[in-house]
Amino acid sequence: MSKAKSDLLQGTLDMLILKTLALEAAHGWGIAQRIQQVSREVLQVNQGSLYPALYRLEHQGWIAAEWGTSENNRKAKFYRLTQEGRRQLDAETENWERISAAIDRILETA
Amino acid sequence: MQGIRMSLRSLLFKSRAEREMDQELSFHIEMQTALNVRKGMSQEQARTEALREFGGVEKFKEQCREAHGGRRLEQLLQDLRFGVRMLLKQPGYSALVVLILALGIGANTAIFSVVNGVLLRPLPYPQEDRLVVLRQSAALTGQEDVGVSPVEMADYRARSRALADLVEHHNMSFTLLDRGEPRRVRTGVVSWSFFDVLGVKPILGRTFRPEDEKPGAEPVLILSHEYWQSQGADPKVVGRAMEMNDKTHTVIGVLPPVPRYPTEDEVYMPTTACPARSGEHARTMRDARMLTAFGRLRSGIPLAQGRADLAAVFGQLRADHPEDYPTAEGFQAALLPLREELVREARPKLLILLGTVGLVLLIVCANVANLALARLLHRQRELALRTALGAGRGRIARQLLTESALLALAGGAAGLLLSIPALRLLTAFAARFTPRAYEIGVDGTVLLFTVAVSLFTGLLAGMAPAFSRQDPTAMLKEGGDRGTAGGRSLRTRNLLIVFQLAASFMLLIGAGLTLRSFWELGQVDPGFRPERVTTAGLHLDWNRYDTEERRWVVLDDLLRRVKAHPGVISVALGSAYPLDGESTPWTNELLVEGHPPRPGEAAAPVDLRIASTDYFNTLGIPILEGRVFTDADHADALPVAVVNRSLAHRFWGDRSPIGQRISLDGGENWRTVVGMVGDVKQYGLDSKAADEIYRPFAQYAIGGGNLLVRSDLPPVTIEKLVRDSMRAIDPEQPVDGVRTLEEARAESLAPSRLTTTLLGVFAVLALVITAAGIAGILAFSVSQRTHEIGIRMALGAVPGDVRFMILRQAAMLVIPGLALGMAGALVLTRVLSSLLFGVEPTDPVTFVAVSLLLLGVAAVACFVPARRATEIHPMIALRSM
Repeated sequence: MSKAKSDLLQGTLDMLILKTLALEAAHGWGIAQRIQQVSREVLQVNQGSLYPALYRLEHQGWIAAEWGTSENNRKAKFYRLTQEGRRQLDAETENWERISAAIDRILETA
Repeated sequence: MQGIRMSLRSLLFKSRAEREMDQELSFHIEMQTALNVRKGMSQEQARTEALREFGGVEKFKEQCREAHGGRRLEQLLQDLRFGVRMLLKQPGYSALVVLILALGIGANTAIFSVVNGVLLRPLPYPQEDRLVVLRQSAALTGQEDVGVSPVEMADYRARSRALADLVEHHNMSFTLLDRGEPRRVRTGVVSWSFFDVLGVKPILGRTFRPEDEKPGAEPVLILSHEYWQSQGADPKVVGRAMEMNDKTHTVIGVLPPVPRYPTEDEVYMPTTACPARSGEHARTMRDARMLTAFGRLRSGIPLAQGRADLAAVFGQLRADHPEDYPTAEGFQAALLPLREELVREARPKLLILLGTVGLVLLIVCANVANLALARLLHRQRELALRTALGAGRGRIARQLLTESALLALAGGAAGLLLSIPALRLLTAFAARFTPRAYEIGVDGTVLLFTVAVSLFTGLLAGMAPAFSRQDPTAMLKEGGDRGTAGGRSLRTRNLLIVFQLAASFMLLIGAGLTLRSFWELGQVDPGFRPERVTTAGLHLDWNRYDTEERRWVVLDDLLRRVKAHPGVISVALGSAYPLDGESTPWTNELLVEGHPPRPGEAAAPVDLRIASTDYFNTLGIPILEGRVFTDADHADALPVAVVNRSLAHRFWGDRSPIGQRISLDGGENWRTVVGMVGDVKQYGLDSKAADEIYRPFAQYAIGGGNLLVRSDLPPVTIEKLVRDSMRAIDPEQPVDGVRTLEEARAESLAPSRLTTTLLGVFAVLALVITAAGIAGILAFSVSQRTHEIGIRMALGAVPGDVRFMILRQAAMLVIPGLALGMAGALVLTRVLSSLLFGVEPTDPVTFVAVSLLLLGVAAVACFVPARRATEIHPMIALRSM
């Protein structure tokens, strides 16, 4: 692993998964790939946290899972965002923006 | 909702959920492998890289399962299954723990059943919180309850605005003739609306109506459920005629099985049917206070308002009749909730017992925690393995707590079984202090309590092992049972032992103090000699023997017949006998010639007793001065009296009472004191002797009393003799209550004996559990230190040194335990003072004795491990390293 890659902050993984699924339904591997690509390889998703996170989100009812066919014609479990998950995403996004703005301000003035 | 559905799904379709997880993960690996191949790796390399990147599959799966809600429920089931398996694999340990828990939980269940039945449950009457007792007291003369007179009843009833109704009760003993033998029955004499106020509906017939209480009404009876049952439970009993007081009474109803307050009456009659209650004196004298008054507050009226109302009414009565409510006696009237009143005497004792068993339970918890900690060390390898296989710290803790809770529930079930036989003893105990004792039983609340206490115990005892810090890798590396992981846990275990010792010390002090006061009570000189004296109750019919002369003829005849029997040393009659728990004081105001009461001074009552000529020598009461009664003191002779030492001292100080004159009727008639006798503990060995005055039976022939027979004959022979003699005179007059005075004396000690037994049993239980705990921890420590001891012995230590080492270790536990216990006991035993007699709560003898006992038991507990330590062979110990 290169040093430029950052580990995900605790708790932000859930938000990223929700955001990724807000665009379209995806399977676990797809979610990990997309986060990596969109972040230009800065964010590495550790599989060890990805799947427990998915199961947790599913348990909370924010995402739903169903079996479908993958791009290479394999049976895969696809996750999609539920209504409740969308609301949760909005809440988390807003929260994140508030905090990151606050951190920015500190970094600028300090 | 979603969560629960998923939980259930993953629980029910476990294999499917697992399969899907496998599929999902292998899909991931496949995709990653494909990506790696695209990046230019070989197929083989790409797959290995994908797997490596993924990390530990099993651990990760477990995390997924955790995230999936269903796991929690399933884990619980799994933990339970595994727990049961583990516990069955170590039956000895499990049985020991279940036994200890059963004792602790059983004791708590039993005591709680009593507390629940007596203190917590509402009375089995509708709107029981509105029921009150109206009680008059004269605090300054030491009388907490002087009763209420019929005249006062009428006043309170007419003037009170807060009470919906006020009813009276008093208790009589009458002879009932119902197709055969005469039987004495305890009779409740009540207002017609008594049962309506309580809200009791009859199961047969009806309760009283206003016309039943009119003067001249046909006499009627209501049977209690218990009496009806004991007489064959005849369903057609309503309408049956029974003879009582020479009148025909008709049964009109049978009560349901409700607790009988305030006394356990067998039958009930309206007030007008009672000869005493309808007599001239009772009906007209304001101070003929013979009744207990029960009321029901009007709905919407709080107790405080009822009390204010009563205070106002009482103020009016006192203003109207100042001579009947002397302020010098501290005369007062109060309204008390019925429920509180019924348990007033029992409450402190039950709370002390509850505290005691609570302490026992904590000792049990500490002990089981200790056992579990020791057990844990033997399970290090298993737990380490499970950790290595992916079980999280929380998962292991949960598993250990589950095992502990399982044991506690098993202990609870066994404890419940143990508590049931104990309840009989406890009911007998409680019955001495409250009429509610017969409501004691195991009900839903008790079961709930047992389950709650079991779970609480299980979790508390499981806490220490579950959260003890374990280092799995260290365990695996060392690979043995003798790991170093014990350091911190040993400290926890030592603390638990110190706590157990302290708590046991406190319990032993409690038991020791009550034991000492029981012993002190037994040493009290009762003032008479109960040996070889048998008593029998006599009750002449009020109507047939309506004059003193007629009564005396019968009683004198009876005395002569019994005395004529060979083997009878002496025989006497008394209005009561000492230490008869049933008798109530018969008090009278006394005037002493030359001692006019100062204005405003309380004319404190004296105890009045009627005694025949041989009363004093039959009972062995010492004659201190003058003489006692002789045949010359007959009805027409000079009225005489005998006083006891307390009374003589009170009125005449050191002067001789002989020849002094006293009056019992306000100065109308005077009688001469002819003798002084010793004080007798009439009401209990723990109470002070009252001021007593004796009158000769021949000069005041009451219609009943107790025959007292001193004889070497067995009590059954005497009973037969008395019954035969009475039957020969009049076959319709009953003889009852036959018992020896030794029995009466033992009976009067029973409350103290029961309290002592209960506290003693709990204390010994605590002591045994604690001693086992000490032995356990020392044995464990010896096995841990085998190497060290081996080295010491190899270097020249002799067995004495090793023994000293172990004893020193024990002392480090016992001494702080004792100190802590002593500090706790000094604070806590104060609550016991109400139970103690003749001994201070801080009694040094008890404290020293208990300390020695605990030290002794601790020494015995050390003995086996210490000996095992000295028997360690240095070579074997060293080789096993």
